[in-house]
Amino acid sequence: MPESGAITSSRNERATPVALVQLIVFRLGDEDYGIRIEQVKEVTVTPEVARMPKTPPFIKGIANLRGDIIAILDLEERFRLRKAGRPLPEHSYTIAVEAADYTLGLVVREVPRPLTLPLSQIEPTPEFVQDANSHEKYLEGIAKLPDGVIIVLDMRKLLSPSEVMRLPGKPAS
Amino acid sequence: MKTREQEYRELFMAEALEYYDSMSRHLSELERNPNDAPALNELFRLMHNLKANARAMGFMDLGEVAHHLETLFGLVRSNEREFAGPLVRVIFQGVDALGSMIRAVGANQPLPDAQALLENLDRLVRGEAPILEGEEAENEEESSRKLELSDLVYIQVKKLDNLLNLVGELVIDRDRILTLAQEIGNPALQATAQHLFRISDDLQYSVMDARLVGVGVLLNKFPRVVRDVATAENKEVELTLSGQDVQIDRNILQIITDALLHLVRNAVGHGIETPEERVKAGKPATGHLELSALTERDDVLIQIHDDGRGINTEAVRRKAIERGLTTAEAAANLDEQAVWAFLFEPGFSMAQQVTDISGRGVGLDVVKLALDSLGGQLRVDSKMGEGTTFTLVLPTSIAVKGALLVEVDERPYAVPLLHTDTVLALPPEEFSVVGGVLVMHAQGQAVPVVPLRMLLHDEGDELFPLANKTELQGSQQVLIVNYNNRRLGLLVDRFLRQQNIVIKPLSKPLDTIDLFGGVTLLGSGQVCLVLDVPALTRLFLSKRP
Amino acid sequence: MNKRILIVDDSFYMRTMLKNMLTDAGYEVVGEAANGAQAVEMANATTPDLITLDVILPDNTGLDVLKSIRQTQPNAKVVMCSAVGQEVIVNEAIESGALAYIVKPFSEEKVLEIVGAALQDNSTETAA
Repeated sequence: MPESGAITSSRNERATPVALVQLIVFRLGDEDYGIRIEQVKEVTVTPEVARMPKTPPFIKGIANLRGDIIAILDLEERFRLRKAGRPLPEHSYTIAVEAADYTLGLVVREVPRPLTLPLSQIEPTPEFVQDANSHEKYLEGIAKLPDGVIIVLDMRKLLSPSEVMRLPGKPAS
Repeated sequence: MKTREQEYRELFMAEALEYYDSMSRHLSELERNPNDAPALNELFRLMHNLKANARAMGFMDLGEVAHHLETLFGLVRSNEREFAGPLVRVIFQGVDALGSMIRAVGANQPLPDAQALLENLDRLVRGEAPILEGEEAENEEESSRKLELSDLVYIQVKKLDNLLNLVGELVIDRDRILTLAQEIGNPALQATAQHLFRISDDLQYSVMDARLVGVGVLLNKFPRVVRDVATAENKEVELTLSGQDVQIDRNILQIITDALLHLVRNAVGHGIETPEERVKAGKPATGHLELSALTERDDVLIQIHDDGRGINTEAVRRKAIERGLTTAEAAANLDEQAVWAFLFEPGFSMAQQVTDISGRGVGLDVVKLALDSLGGQLRVDSKMGEGTTFTLVLPTSIAVKGALLVEVDERPYAVPLLHTDTVLALPPEEFSVVGGVLVMHAQGQAVPVVPLRMLLHDEGDELFPLANKTELQGSQQVLIVNYNNRRLGLLVDRFLRQQNIVIKPLSKPLDTIDLFGGVTLLGSGQVCLVLDVPALTRLFLSKRP
Repeated sequence: MNKRILIVDDSFYMRTMLKNMLTDAGYEVVGEAANGAQAVEMANATTPDLITLDVILPDNTGLDVLKSIRQTQPNAKVVMCSAVGQEVIVNEAIESGALAYIVKPFSEEKVLEIVGAALQDNSTETAA
């Protein structure tokens, strides 16, 4: 990972600038989530989404993003963070995220905001949370800020094809 | 289509220009170092090749100049002449003359006269001094000298793929602009949009044309295959190839390579009998296999014909009943074509007995799948004791497909025309329920009918609910699709229109849903799923009550 | 069974023309080599029934190629291809074991006649 390289080199320098991480932060339910900016391709107003039969409900469908047809995911629904009576607004935003060899869109309510913070501020997720069979296993860590926490997602774990296509009640293949 | 003559001419030109460039390069090397042996050898070889090629093409004057220069370089090489003085000038003149002659060939013009040059070259070969014209003429020649690059480039298929994808994008946007221009109604905009339409059409055609190769590229690999299989199986097989010049998209050829290999191996291994069997049946001991390509309208047909034992239809029929693919009663009424269609069922022919009895069909479903992926078709024709013909019906190009757009739940879906039979609007009385399945009658044949909605939203492992005729309200829109001689009626909300579409594959992770052959973008910018008729048919068969 | 032929010529044009003539006549062209090194390598890899060998090649002379092929395959059938003016080399090639030679420019009939005759020549194989 390029980040680890950055840490090593910065430690070797005398001034030792702090290793920084840039995140794209967005809200799901009442929680703040973040993705490393390297994993984000672009943020855009959600294009027209065509419902795709035979997919789990949290896949909103497919959309045309500059000629690429990508799947649009609703993480609020995936993580069951959707509050009753709070459907996705008509105008939402989509974060195009690079998975291993394809792109996916994550639909969010508000314009995501960039945030730069020292790497040291992200604490690895405790073991017991990692083991839990919940969405915490997709976490890279938790960033503690004066006004709250940001849950940093590891997109590569979250967006593996078997995870994405996992139907409710069926184990990932 | 390119004729062989044209092909030779293009090759000749490309190579001649390449030779000319190398000659000029080596000549300057030689000028710097008159003892540069490798340069001299190369010049000798290049002259030799140019001479031989020019003579083969019938450009005798060109061949003559090259021949003289070759001789002269031969003498320089054997130290009988020195690369110095007037000889150098004549040689430069000679190479320049070759350049103009090659250009004249390329431009289809008469070759310039080389008599004076040839005489000078003759003099040099004889050891006499050449007669040189004044400096002026030389300068004129110098100013008219041009740099020539070869007319042929080699290009990676990947780059062509990319180009084709981009053109696909362009065509989609073009359709969209055309739609918008009509909506806005500005005449200047409409005229420009029309022009864009024509240009992008031409562009698309040109890009597709650039991807075409002769079917021979693939067919010519088969003599070896046939020989090897025949030897292994103790068969005597004579192979005839034809239609090598028929043009087809290179990627299509790539995709059907395995299918064709399969069919040819099958024909030699199981279709054609052993020499003893053949003689007993009153046939020549050597079996005959024919691989041919031909063009039929926009399609390319590749046929594999053998004069072997043919398909034992009754054996296939029995096997289909045994395997539960059909009932004995239904099977009795199936015609040959319908029975042969069972051969392409996945796993059907894996049973050794069938192979032995019918002489056909190890894994023919592989062939079918390859053709399905291309939107192609497979035809079979066979006569017991006389032989079998498989015909692969292939599109010339994969980029554009005709499709019918239908609507279900306010969403458009595209169905490739290749798999559509008829569209009908029928009142509810025209339907009946047979064994829990909705059935209609079309052209004297009972066709099962299913709401497309039900196939699209099917989940879990339960069978479909029993059909209920009372649910049909008002006129019903039925699209009859056809796959592997099996017809299925799909109930849709509305027929939209027929249109050429550019199919994009579904990207990961959605590519695992086999009901969809891909997506296309409509002129409106709307994303439209392309239905995969084979997969829909399979789903219906597995879920019908 | 189709006889398998290896074409050795440094001109793509020549190879294409020869290949078309030979495949049209039902021969199988198992390879095309554009220089001497390729020729030797492909001859050993494909053990063709016949090799058509150009006299002048970029890295080697056809004569040297002929000799090295016959070292590993003493029975290899080789037909030389040459333009007029190479009679000396051709004669030497025949002495070194080449069966015949084709003079460029050649006609289809001529090529097929010579190739056919060369394949018949002291044939030890029976038809497959």
